[in-house]
Amino acid sequence: MNVILCGVGGNGVVLTTRIIAEAALRDGIKVRVGEVHGLAMRGGTVVSHLRLGSDAKGVLVPLRKADILLAFEPLEALRQMRFLKRGAKVILNNQTYVGVDAHLGLSKYPEVCDILEKIEAAQDIVDVPASRLAIESGSVIMTNVVMLGCLSASKELPISRDSLIDAIKSRVPPLMIDSNIKAFELGEKAFQDWEKNVVCQA
Amino acid sequence: MKKKSKILGGAGETVLLTGNEAVARGCLEAGMAVGAGYPGTPASTIMEKLGEVANELGFWAEFSVNEAVAFEVAAGSSLAGVRSLMSTKMLGVNLIADALTVISVTGVRGGLVIITADDPQQFSSQNAEDTRFFGMLAKVPVLEPGDGQEAKDMMKYAFELSEELELPVFFRITPRICHSSFAVELGEIRKPKRDGKFIRDPKRFVTISTYSRPRQPILHEKIARAKKIFNTNTWNRIYDHQNGKVFEKGSVYNTFGVIASGLTYPYVEEVLEATKINARVMKLATTYPLPEDYMVDFMSDLDQVLIIEENDGVTELQSRALAQRKRLNVRIMGKDDGLIPLSGELNPDIVGAAFEKLFGVKFQEDLTEPYLEAQELVSQRVPSLCAGCPHRSSFYALREALRRKGKGGAIMGDRGCYNQGAYEPLEGMDTCICMGASIAMASGLSHSGTKEPVLSVIGDGTFYHAGIPSLLNAVHNRSNIVSLIFDNSITAMTGHQLNPGSGVNLMGQHTGFANLKKIVEACGVEHVHVINAFDVEKLVETVMEEIDHDGVSVIISRAPCALVVERNIRKKKLKMHSAVVELDKCVGCKICMKKIGCPAFSWSNDPKPHLEILSHCNGCGLCVEMCPFGAISIPDRPDGVLGISIKKEVTK
Ligand SMILES: Cc1ncc(C[n+]2csc(CCOP(=O)(O)OP(=O)(O)O)c2C)c(N)n1
Ligand code: SF4
Repeated sequence: MNVILCGVGGNGVVLTTRIIAEAALRDGIKVRVGEVHGLAMRGGTVVSHLRLGSDAKGVLVPLRKADILLAFEPLEALRQMRFLKRGAKVILNNQTYVGVDAHLGLSKYPEVCDILEKIEAAQDIVDVPASRLAIESGSVIMTNVVMLGCLSASKELPISRDSLIDAIKSRVPPLMIDSNIKAFELGEKAFQDWEKNVVCQA
Repeated sequence: MKKKSKILGGAGETVLLTGNEAVARGCLEAGMAVGAGYPGTPASTIMEKLGEVANELGFWAEFSVNEAVAFEVAAGSSLAGVRSLMSTKMLGVNLIADALTVISVTGVRGGLVIITADDPQQFSSQNAEDTRFFGMLAKVPVLEPGDGQEAKDMMKYAFELSEELELPVFFRITPRICHSSFAVELGEIRKPKRDGKFIRDPKRFVTISTYSRPRQPILHEKIARAKKIFNTNTWNRIYDHQNGKVFEKGSVYNTFGVIASGLTYPYVEEVLEATKINARVMKLATTYPLPEDYMVDFMSDLDQVLIIEENDGVTELQSRALAQRKRLNVRIMGKDDGLIPLSGELNPDIVGAAFEKLFGVKFQEDLTEPYLEAQELVSQRVPSLCAGCPHRSSFYALREALRRKGKGGAIMGDRGCYNQGAYEPLEGMDTCICMGASIAMASGLSHSGTKEPVLSVIGDGTFYHAGIPSLLNAVHNRSNIVSLIFDNSITAMTGHQLNPGSGVNLMGQHTGFANLKKIVEACGVEHVHVINAFDVEKLVETVMEEIDHDGVSVIISRAPCALVVERNIRKKKLKMHSAVVELDKCVGCKICMKKIGCPAFSWSNDPKPHLEILSHCNGCGLCVEMCPFGAISIPDRPDGVLGISIKKEVTK
């Protein structure tokens, strides 16, 4: 299985990838991770390739071979779409980061509805207000944990919920564990709500 | 409680490590006694990880002032007989070449390993040079691990090899090793043997030509010995692939061969598995000198061999020479044939494309309609300095000074976070060549007969690294330049490493401070100013004044890196004072954006076009001054003075 994680610097993409990778290792699943992160500055494109089981060969996922995209930002999701199989699950935090470069006209940030439309044309997309839910559980810093909860509830990963929670616990300061668990649960609930919604609309 | 370092896990455990962590762990398992390095992405965290455990395990770890120094430090301890490491990104190898090409002649005592992180994709480097040529130049063996486990194990081997040959050994990695994570099974940590003793041997170590000349044949003999060792060691392996399955070498028949260098083997594996092409594959880990007998044995059964390697065709070059010398009837293909691209890193799709061309198979999936449409909509983000970065304000002031002077002017730049200030709207630098080039290039420009003001910009870290000799030169040779030193008191770009101006070293020891101003004065510069980087007006005026002065002027523009300030604010639980916009005063002119383009700026059209300030604003206050309508302010800022730099409590 191949998973792509993406966002902008400061989103916690690298940390989140490591959490999943560590959880996989706990569950005895073969794992390899390739990452690209920029320099010290924030706000740049960040992407990591997580490869599980028999796909854990080289650290890079070939084009159109990924099963899941965990995207922390809509434009970044669109940027990585070329790695996805048709119908791959996309879990998307709908919080945009429009850089000052776009406000200055140095680059162009597309309309969010256009981004969603393009992704929806080929993928199975779940969009969640992860940043908002993270703020609800204490701080926007936990956006990644909300996303992890959502991913876990989707049952797309071959990794157990317990191992994910353990891996989170091993990565956060003791005082923050409770709020992180809360963030994780809000993520799970967001996925379930989304599922119900889809069923209603269908 | 301090968290236990990840590289200290027990023997037998399997843990998730980045390539850099695995390399560091390999040093521990080798019982390394002295490690010296210089920061440079993607290698920086190797030394950082070693620094975290150096006191506990009892070895020495340092970030030296530059790579040449780091290498000479490691060479010195190696001569005392202890295992020594030098760690750098590939550009640093350019700096060590002088010492390296001589140390290979004298040979070493304790194992001396040089980590060089090449960057074929130029994720964070000014070029994409291939350090294997330095191996050939200095006659120093080159090892290349293929994954995290090998990165650890081969590191240990590198020290052993270096001692066996009494030669330095290059350990070549790339970002895809450094920053990737692997499940790594740990071995035993060996207690560092730090019992150095220098034994005199002038005929070997004093390289006056009468002593050194007779040692040349010894060096050639060592490389011949390395070839023999590489013929039989287990890092190079051969497999036969048939119908998507992998077999022991020789158990099936193949006439097509692949040599996959370093980390490219899994890419080949993936392509062969998917396309079911049959091939005999050599995974090559010793890229200089080549294991000649082993390769001849491999190639003599084959009609065609495709060589897959990143950066330059170094293996291709040597293999062609070898095949010609041994009169092998094999067609060698690679970069020279346009099958493997000359630039950029490799990946499974690029490797797959080479097989597609050769065999007419299909590996890479097409990007069909919805994917192509998505690609069309994607735009690149333009990087920028962080919110609150003191370089923003310094650059703004520089450009403003030149604008007011109205005489044009050139700003010779250097290498550091300030490179992000070259983008619009600041456009604060006209060149960036290599660390330390700014001042000397400005000198050259000033002697060229130009009538325009000549300025230069360098960071404190880069000034210590390679700027001081150029400044001495500028004074000695009467250049007419205004040289700015952007002093954020840290080496920020590569991950905030300490430097001689920090007063603390990698071992955590409190040390003497380099006094930047005194260094500049001691170089003979008479016009020296130290100015708060957020005091825009003072900076502008001083730059204008110094442009009129004939001679070398230095302006130290000083304020701490915003990320360091933020970290301290969080640590000390202080309040971050962000700027706010008064809606009725903002006329929506975007002047603030066009002047300084801070990433904490956003825009809203609701209820009217106006500036919005995002929550990660750390209140540097630069925008407050940019707004002609007084629409931006920072409520309850403690002292009402300019810039975060003045808040003493957060900078200590
Ligand atoms: C020879 C060489 N070594 C290392 C590097 C990596 N590198 C890029 S910028 C930099 C240091 C920047 O420090 P400083 O000048 O203090 O600027 P800051 O990033 O703090 O603004 C380093 C070490 C390089 N580019 N070239
Ligand atoms: S890391 Fe520090 S020096 Fe680099 S851009 Fe950010 S604030 Fe400026």
